[in-house]
Amino acid sequence: MFEVVYTPRWFYGKDIAIDVVSILVLALIALFSLRCAKLDRQNKNYLWLSASFGLLALSFVFKILMNFTLYFYGQETAMVGKITVVYNVLEPTTTLFLIGFIVYHLLGLLGLYALFSIYHKQSRSTVILVLYLLATIVFFSHVTHYLFHLTSLILLALLAFHYAQYAKKSKALTTKMLTASFLIIGLSQPFFIFMGVRPDLYVVAECIQLVGYLLLLFTFLKVLYGKAKPS
Amino acid sequence: MAKRSRLDIIADMLYAIQDKGGRIKPTHLMYKSNLSHTQMMTYLEELLHKHLIGKINQKGYEYIIITDQGYQFWHKVKEMREFEKTFGI
Repeated sequence: MFEVVYTPRWFYGKDIAIDVVSILVLALIALFSLRCAKLDRQNKNYLWLSASFGLLALSFVFKILMNFTLYFYGQETAMVGKITVVYNVLEPTTTLFLIGFIVYHLLGLLGLYALFSIYHKQSRSTVILVLYLLATIVFFSHVTHYLFHLTSLILLALLAFHYAQYAKKSKALTTKMLTASFLIIGLSQPFFIFMGVRPDLYVVAECIQLVGYLLLLFTFLKVLYGKAKPS
Repeated sequence: MAKRSRLDIIADMLYAIQDKGGRIKPTHLMYKSNLSHTQMMTYLEELLHKHLIGKINQKGYEYIIITDQGYQFWHKVKEMREFEKTFGI
């Protein structure tokens, strides 16, 4: 069995740079949340938020590992119309690729689900069931890659919806910005889903993802350096 | 209105001192922080012990002052509250 991934040649490696930006933004929020957790030990949500963003950051680390594997092994080029694409033909047994692939997908979904769980408390049995389903999705993502992106899309949409509802109530500009950043990151997922159809959709998806994470960074900086207010 | 946490009370006290230009009389601090005398004394003791505030005497009056450490702590709490408000946690 072979896994084929298309990447336009000119975009080769640039996706890694975009993912590094995503990692930095996510790690920054995870570390800040951890600092808050140390300051306010009563509010456990800080720890969960830190874990969620930490897992998402770590998932991108494994995505980079996976991409490195793709770029170093079995690369061939082909012309599709006027676009030169680099496609990677890999045996799924390539250990490094498999580790990167599985851990990236698993941590990505776990991170989003952990974030979702902060706002939607569930029973222990529901959590176990969902974790089982996420593991199943990761397993089948190996064959049908869009399953991962579809699940991410649903989780991101639910999170954006929650933040939008909360922004209505709090009227905080930063929450509106947070909603927008999750919406934009979510918007990148349909493009990832269809990247198999057109290789340049992967570029579009990565660029949208970059915009989403940059907005998330801007939101975070606005929280830190916004106007001073009494507690 | 939700009950204030220990951290909220400390942040309110530090903000009250800052709002008065960095020094405040103990009685004013008590009113501004909405605390009873006993509560305030307990918190003052803790804040003094942690070097977040200090005491000075000026023209025969005792004043509570905020230290650099206290200001930094208040700033951290302020950031944390903004973060909390943004993420709704």
